[in-house]
Amino acid sequence: MSVILECKSLTKKFGSTAALMDLNLTLERGRIIGLLGPNGSGKTTLIKLINGLLVPNEGSLKINGIEPGVESKKIVSYLPERTYLPDWMKVSDTINFFKDFYADFDEKKAYEMLKHLNLDANKRLKALSKGTKEKVQLILVMSRNADLYCLDEPIGGVDPAARDYILNTIITNYNENACVIISTHLIADIENVLDEVIFIKEGHLKLHASVDEIREKEGKSIDSLFREVFRC
Amino acid sequence: MLRKLLRHELYATGKTLLPIYGITILLSLLNRLVTNIDIFNGPMEIIPAFMQIAYGISIVATIIVTVIIIVLRFYKNLMTDEGYLMFTLPVKAYQLINSKLISSIIWTIISVITVILSLLILLANPERLELLKESIDNIVYILKISFGENYVLLTIELGILLFISMIQQMLLIFVSIAVGHLFNGRKVLGSFAAYIGINTAVQIALTILMVIWSLIGGSSLEELGSIPQLLFPFTIIMGLTLSLLYYLVTNYIFSKKLNLE
Repeated sequence: MSVILECKSLTKKFGSTAALMDLNLTLERGRIIGLLGPNGSGKTTLIKLINGLLVPNEGSLKINGIEPGVESKKIVSYLPERTYLPDWMKVSDTINFFKDFYADFDEKKAYEMLKHLNLDANKRLKALSKGTKEKVQLILVMSRNADLYCLDEPIGGVDPAARDYILNTIITNYNENACVIISTHLIADIENVLDEVIFIKEGHLKLHASVDEIREKEGKSIDSLFREVFRC
Repeated sequence: MLRKLLRHELYATGKTLLPIYGITILLSLLNRLVTNIDIFNGPMEIIPAFMQIAYGISIVATIIVTVIIIVLRFYKNLMTDEGYLMFTLPVKAYQLINSKLISSIIWTIISVITVILSLLILLANPERLELLKESIDNIVYILKISFGENYVLLTIELGILLFISMIQQMLLIFVSIAVGHLFNGRKVLGSFAAYIGINTAVQIALTILMVIWSLIGGSSLEELGSIPQLLFPFTIIMGLTLSLLYYLVTNYIFSKKLNLE
């Protein structure tokens, strides 16, 4: 299996505080990976670095062997933890927008998912609730045939039923060649879909292991291990 | 990619601007009609008065709203949550700046054309057009007397100068917003501070340049004849230099110092 993401001594500072410190991490294709940690641990910083929204102070980060830039953005599909689509757009406008800029966008898939969730493509985003907007964003992001998906808090704002649908969408919509990174602190909800977990705390990598390994070695669920590692 | 960006840019801004330009043209047509038919007597007189006020507002709005939309679009689309969408597109930061700059230039020119066209619709008749032609001839005549053969050069320079000043003003707004976004949590305030700060710094630098110029005995810039050879070329070069500087700083911030909230 080939490497999709490689971080070497990755460091990002904001002023004098380090959001990420000397992070070494290698992720392979074909995995669903949970990026777990308490608030402010550096999860979003790492995801922003992968997407070129931040530039590291030290160290390197490579996606499929290339530094973040135009080429990497073509193969990374990113769901930020906020609603980033312009309000005035109709759902169908956003689909056209993605189709225009991303060669790997599958329009048919997007409309299928919209239909499945009973979302009207002619509605303006302004008229949708926050949770519904998040669903639209997830549909857009998952309708790309990307190599790396970065989902920052994808289930934070939606109800449990939609949560199940979203997780199901994630599992069924990525191919074996791709890697999915899901950042969240709602661990119990996503535990079952994860292949690997990454724990980060105060900008440091605490643990990177496969879920099976943890269950075998520690004899406990990821959720209880998380509570143990990050006990306040 | 630039073409796609530009198309989306024009669509996003045009949905507000085109109706405004349309209303301005429509109101000038209506006003022309109303001034030509004299059926509004007594309390009905309020109709032409109202029409004139509406027209006046639409003319002012054409220019002001264009500027506001340019500024707001740049800020909202790049520096707020929408920035997460725009800066993760597979495009270079300078392509984002280019698309915004070109679209702003297009709308500014269209807004000026709209105002001129609307004034012509409202006021043009054979006598007035004759008068306008005479005034233009007159201006050309005066220019010829004052600058001799150089008057053609002067006219071309004036056109370039207007165009460069427009670009310079837009890039100044862009760079101020980019610098302002570095002030986390106080982005809007930071942008205003940056705008005032950069403007002041440029004024001071220009004044110093002028003083040095006169100290080393350069010819007086106030002499009329030196305008086409000295003052205008100097201003054009300054405008180009500053524009380039603003552009490069904006691009640097967007590609290396980006920090969306």
